[in-house]
Amino acid sequence: MPSPLTHDDPQALGPYHPIARLGSGGMGTVYLARTAGGRTVALKTMHARIASDPAFRTRFRLETDAARVVGARFGAGVVDADPRAETPWFATEYVLGPPLDEAVEVCGPLPEASVRALGAALCGALGQLHASDVVHRDLKPSNILITAYGPKVIDFGIARAAGDDHLTRVGVAVGTPAFMSPEQASGQEHTAAGDVFALAGLLVFAATGRPPFGHGQAADLLYRVQYTEADLRGVPDDLVPVLAQCLDKNPFRRPTTGWLASQLHDGGGEFADHLPDALLADIARRATEVWQITPQRLPAPADEPVTAATAGPVRWSRRRLLLTGTGAVLAVSGTGAAGAWALSELGGGSKTQPAPAPSNSLLPKKQLDSLWQIQVADPETYLTVDGLEFLPAQLHAVANLVVLVAGDSLNGVIARTGEVDWKSDDTVYTWQVASDGDRVILVTEVDDGYIGRSVEDDASHANPLALASVDILTGKTGKPFVYFADLNALPENQALCIADGVLYLVAGRGKFSQGFLASQSWYVLAVDISTGRRLWTAPLPRRRQDSSQLYFLGAGVAGNRLVALQEANDGSVHAVVRDTRTGTVRWDRKLDRVAPDQVRQSLVTDAQHLYVGAGPLRALRLGDGSVAWDSTSERPGRTYGLPALKDGSLYAVEKGLGLVAFDPASGRIKWQEKGGQAAKADLKTAPVVGSDYAYSKRGSRLWATDLSSHAPAHSYRTTGDCFMIHEKAGEIIALGGHFLAAFPLR
Amino acid sequence: MHATGGATGVVGTGGQDRAGRSRHVGPYTLITALDDPRTKVPVPERRYIARSADGQHTVLLSLPQPGGDPQRFLAEAEASRYLLGPCAAPATALAGPGEPAWYVGPYLPVLPLPTALAVHGGPLPERTVRALGVALAETLAILHGQGLTFAGVSPASVLLAADRPRLSCFGAVRAAAPDGTSRSGLPGLEAGSLPPEQASGGRPRPLGDVYALGATLAYAATGHTTPERDELPAAFRTVIARCLSRDPSARPQLAELIDALSADTGVETGAGDGSAVLLTPGWLPGRVIAALAHQSAAVLTAEISFEATPAPPTSLLPHPD
Repeated sequence: MPSPLTHDDPQALGPYHPIARLGSGGMGTVYLARTAGGRTVALKTMHARIASDPAFRTRFRLETDAARVVGARFGAGVVDADPRAETPWFATEYVLGPPLDEAVEVCGPLPEASVRALGAALCGALGQLHASDVVHRDLKPSNILITAYGPKVIDFGIARAAGDDHLTRVGVAVGTPAFMSPEQASGQEHTAAGDVFALAGLLVFAATGRPPFGHGQAADLLYRVQYTEADLRGVPDDLVPVLAQCLDKNPFRRPTTGWLASQLHDGGGEFADHLPDALLADIARRATEVWQITPQRLPAPADEPVTAATAGPVRWSRRRLLLTGTGAVLAVSGTGAAGAWALSELGGGSKTQPAPAPSNSLLPKKQLDSLWQIQVADPETYLTVDGLEFLPAQLHAVANLVVLVAGDSLNGVIARTGEVDWKSDDTVYTWQVASDGDRVILVTEVDDGYIGRSVEDDASHANPLALASVDILTGKTGKPFVYFADLNALPENQALCIADGVLYLVAGRGKFSQGFLASQSWYVLAVDISTGRRLWTAPLPRRRQDSSQLYFLGAGVAGNRLVALQEANDGSVHAVVRDTRTGTVRWDRKLDRVAPDQVRQSLVTDAQHLYVGAGPLRALRLGDGSVAWDSTSERPGRTYGLPALKDGSLYAVEKGLGLVAFDPASGRIKWQEKGGQAAKADLKTAPVVGSDYAYSKRGSRLWATDLSSHAPAHSYRTTGDCFMIHEKAGEIIALGGHFLAAFPLR
Repeated sequence: MHATGGATGVVGTGGQDRAGRSRHVGPYTLITALDDPRTKVPVPERRYIARSADGQHTVLLSLPQPGGDPQRFLAEAEASRYLLGPCAAPATALAGPGEPAWYVGPYLPVLPLPTALAVHGGPLPERTVRALGVALAETLAILHGQGLTFAGVSPASVLLAADRPRLSCFGAVRAAAPDGTSRSGLPGLEAGSLPPEQASGGRPRPLGDVYALGATLAYAATGHTTPERDELPAAFRTVIARCLSRDPSARPQLAELIDALSADTGVETGAGDGSAVLLTPGWLPGRVIAALAHQSAAVLTAEISFEATPAPPTSLLPHPD
């Protein structure tokens, strides 16, 4: 249902004044909005920063066009649009009916009569779309709204004119695997027959509450869509043969929408006659509740929310949802993930008012303030934008600043005060920024003046790779200090780390694409950032076509070794050590039972070992990759979170037990935490360790364990799920739950 | 094609409707009429969906019928402001002194009972009639407890909303003519639901409301307020017939009516549940809900304009499918 506006929602877009939020997604926000004459519409907007990309703007315009083609009977009638505005928007009727997935959730599987009427009406909608040479390509339950007069097909974000390939760059194999056609899943042309396949899948879902190929990982779904039969258990008997025909793997054997409609429904009665009571009641409620909305705008929050997620946020889960097979992108739903972040309100610096801690613990409870906190907005996921992935925000401690790389912007926050010092609007990918604590280097591009035949034909041209530094006083990105004509500025390039004045990075050569191309060549290289001299270039194995898995999960330098965790083509995690002088791989060891996202940005190494948690805790010798010790020998069956190293001790949280300190050389346990809320310890975030305390996340609090008494000492309430030490400021920086906050590090 | 799901007589633009009446009433601009004259059921007021000049407030707006006494009309509207109960429809604003008479209440999608029958294609299902009857009887009981008599229950006064009915046109009988004057055949009063003692000029009393409610429920169940006894569903044939007794003292108490309508519904009704257990999903037929949704969508789309530039006319007709 509609929710209040936030303080930073626009006051007006064209003649429309937002009065409530209907939803927010990767591309933009949808508002309920009203004109001065009281006309009330659904207003879909595109984030200005996404709209700065002409390809997305084109897509937005095409979506508007497709919605117009469908018209008000089978779609949400378009009222008005301005695809050229800074924040492009289009206004449609506010549709009074639930999406099919909600309908099934609320009412359970639909009776056969409803399924038939729905199917026949959808055939009409698709027939009209196809007659206008538009293919939807992303039919799924959330894109079908059920009104009392029939279904409406919405979200033409990836619809396109049949045979029209000029959106290929932004439209590489998109869709929703659970409802994709086999040809779409294998990257082939998805035609009108593909929509028929998807429609039958929708009807299976409507009749049973289950998608036709079940649930699961995208890669599994893509496989099943292509090679296994749809699961028609629970589909009414008479519907089985009809739907089975539509679900034929061969698009040429599928029926037309006209034939399908005739098999589903005789056209008798009105649509509402065929709907179950619960669904009608939901429609009636929506028709009424829209009149009870009072325009309301939330103030900029100054406090942390009192409720914090107690189930640990699923770290990096958005990235997990990327398809592995074809580079297609899943719709993301319901993940409480720490996602990409962007500073929303630059007022900054507001002090926290501590709220009473809802804890039954008998431990001493001292109310502790965060030193400061500022609100950051989670721009939801960008992943509905195919291939263009945004990793979660990255924090860098740089001089007196916390540099937050969030969404696509760089933000400099003064570590001691929380004041936002600067904000850069240059578009940046979070994984293309590196810092050594003094400098910030961006992996970027130079314009080589290439002029293509037209903007869209030119889409595959990639500019040369360049490196630039960010002025940490102003946030301005300087002119590139070096560029490399043999390498290209590709979205999958990665800045790995800076050590001893050398930047290590991953860069490719080939055409521009969102997602890897098999034709691209990839390299790790080392560049002296004071001279711009390239020290070496070492090849990487090619990525599979349309993969979007970045090569490196984390990297650091120990002595003359570049130590890295890499993700292989098969999704496995490898520890790889290279010689920092030559780039030669010294050893490469596959790590069992570790998923890439568990260990992303978590490289822990000293002069002797690489330490890997997220399962058993292991130490690998940097010399040859052999296992120096493994917690399974001393504590078989125990599971650990990510480790942290400090002053000759290795700290990790043990599942169900709490913080444990190990001798990093031998793997022997030095001590373990006494009492406290150990069972709630979060395994997804590494502890942060100061001189007197080690801090680890438990539920919604960051608990400090005294390093001498080994007992829990105090805690901070935090929504953060990502913690970093800012040594110069003596602070723990926490990011998560819409806030960036600082706590004293002791 | 069935009758309209909303209203006809879409008000034109340019300051006047097709009949030359002003589109502006007080601070409001009319969007459309609520009642469908094709149902041929008398309505004591002229009812419209209207909107405030700033576009922010959409209302149900009532005007007296032509020839009606604006002072009596406004006195009843004023009294209605204090009505209690979930199904009451109190006025929230009314004309000031010296202004032509009008009053408004907040808009929500509603169908007058006669329109609901037209949309549904005939008498409403027994389940709907029971729910209506219990909800309206409860509303009248609250009102009687306030020491008031509704004096205006009729098919047109019952508005069906998604969640429950609303009882509009408070005091229509008193507004139509003062006590002591015959009210037979007055415009706006539906003859079958006008209690005989009120028709002959008697002061409206609570048992008159019981008569009017009985007639209105008969209308919901059969399509007319003066049914033959065997037209009524067997389950409440007797109790409705008693409501329609000419002798007020022979009419049932509201509590009896509630019991009779709640009986044999298969749902356990505890004390105080009353209509709540009857107003559950399915209490309104699908086509009535479709018409409510259609009206809601059309009013959402409607735009008022004080400029001379005509806005596109808004059709409140459902899809012609």
